[in-house]
Amino acid sequence: MIYLDNAATSWPKPPGVAQATSKALTSGLGNPGRTTHHLAMDAALMVQECRENLAQLFAIANPLRICFTSNATEALNLAIKGVLSPGDHAICSSMEHNSVWRPLVALQERGIELTIVEASTSGVVDLSRIEQSIKGNTKLIAVLHASNVNGAILPAAEIGRLARERGIAFLVDAAQTAGSIPIDVKAMNIDLLAFPGHKGLLGPQGTGGLYVSEEVSLRPLKEGGTGSDSMSASQPSYYPDKLESGTLNVPGIAGLNHSVRFLLQKGVAQVVRRETKLTQRLLTGLMEIDGVTVYGPSAELPRAAVVSFNLRNLDPVFVANELERRADIACRPGWHCAALAHQTQGTQDTGTVRLSPGPFTKMTEIEIALGVIAELAAEHQA
Amino acid sequence: MAQKLAVFASLNQVALVKRALHREGVQVEMLRTPRCLSHTGCSFALRCSTEAIALLEEICSKWKIEVGGIFADTQDSSPKLDNVLLDE
Repeated sequence: MIYLDNAATSWPKPPGVAQATSKALTSGLGNPGRTTHHLAMDAALMVQECRENLAQLFAIANPLRICFTSNATEALNLAIKGVLSPGDHAICSSMEHNSVWRPLVALQERGIELTIVEASTSGVVDLSRIEQSIKGNTKLIAVLHASNVNGAILPAAEIGRLARERGIAFLVDAAQTAGSIPIDVKAMNIDLLAFPGHKGLLGPQGTGGLYVSEEVSLRPLKEGGTGSDSMSASQPSYYPDKLESGTLNVPGIAGLNHSVRFLLQKGVAQVVRRETKLTQRLLTGLMEIDGVTVYGPSAELPRAAVVSFNLRNLDPVFVANELERRADIACRPGWHCAALAHQTQGTQDTGTVRLSPGPFTKMTEIEIALGVIAELAAEHQA
Repeated sequence: MAQKLAVFASLNQVALVKRALHREGVQVEMLRTPRCLSHTGCSFALRCSTEAIALLEEICSKWKIEVGGIFADTQDSSPKLDNVLLDE
């Protein structure tokens, strides 16, 4: 198989990730925070090691401010619903995934004011437009770091600086960048960082997390099941217990810990170099094929390893099926859970075919994919 | 050697402190807080030497972790709760 669907979930995983997850199930890792035996204590130490590795990766000063979630969507909901109260104003961009858009729209019905800052058709967000949208009651700026539709990278550091100057909480959806593009929460003034464990971080599905800076206080989405303060009717006030209710995905975190260690050893910069080379070749190759429309920023601009295209007026589902049928290529057709982004780039009626290489993709695989797309283009002349 | 018990609200805090002490070459034991000291229900503790307490407190201060108390640990195997620990 040629796997070009890393924006949905990365595959393959680094060596040892499956074994680390499996070992947690076969050799046993207990339920941390519940009991006294060594399996539970070992699990707690492993979970803490994972927090520390993630903290190192994202330059987070205090690992206890990282709360595990089951995915980035849960982390985003936790952040958005935990920080906003009726009467508050929030700002997001028109490139957001619906994991940001839907919770914000749902909160509008509960008295939250929302401004969606329009990006250009290629996904570029103008900082001055965000600045102009700030009001006296603006409590949160929530943006994705890179678009899951076309790979456009938003100016997170600049938005972070603006948010810090204005005393506004800054939430970054790092679903497409955590582990693939360097993130430094301090340098970028990020108050809330939501990340999946199973995409660029190369861990198992069912893992993710939210970093919460000490500048921000969140209401929990769930209460109970922390293993701490068990005689109290109230949720603990300290992190991560405040936001981590219920048993953690310990086998998943064991795999995630292994994959984050792998990334720390290899370096995110190496992933960036490799994925940039693959993405550039994909972009230039696609643009050379007659009938292909490529979306997103121009090839010379930095972007995440996400490329969306359409082939004439062919249904993206047909194209994706043909890629799989002819060369066992896995990709994603459709709207990618991002209606706003498709409206922004003008593909709301069609969707796109999305190709997303990962750190283990080979250049020869990109060439094969380009060859199949060229073949399809030749067969379906205008 | 005299042993102490440092009590914490959460196992997450205990795990951080244990790993930080380990990096400094100090070995400590994680355990569930005995009932007589566990005023808010389930909590966790670190058993360590008296000499390690200063470093433990330094680590807790750095990470803004509140220590629920530091107690002398008799390590007495008697089941009598009041024989286990002496509040300092």
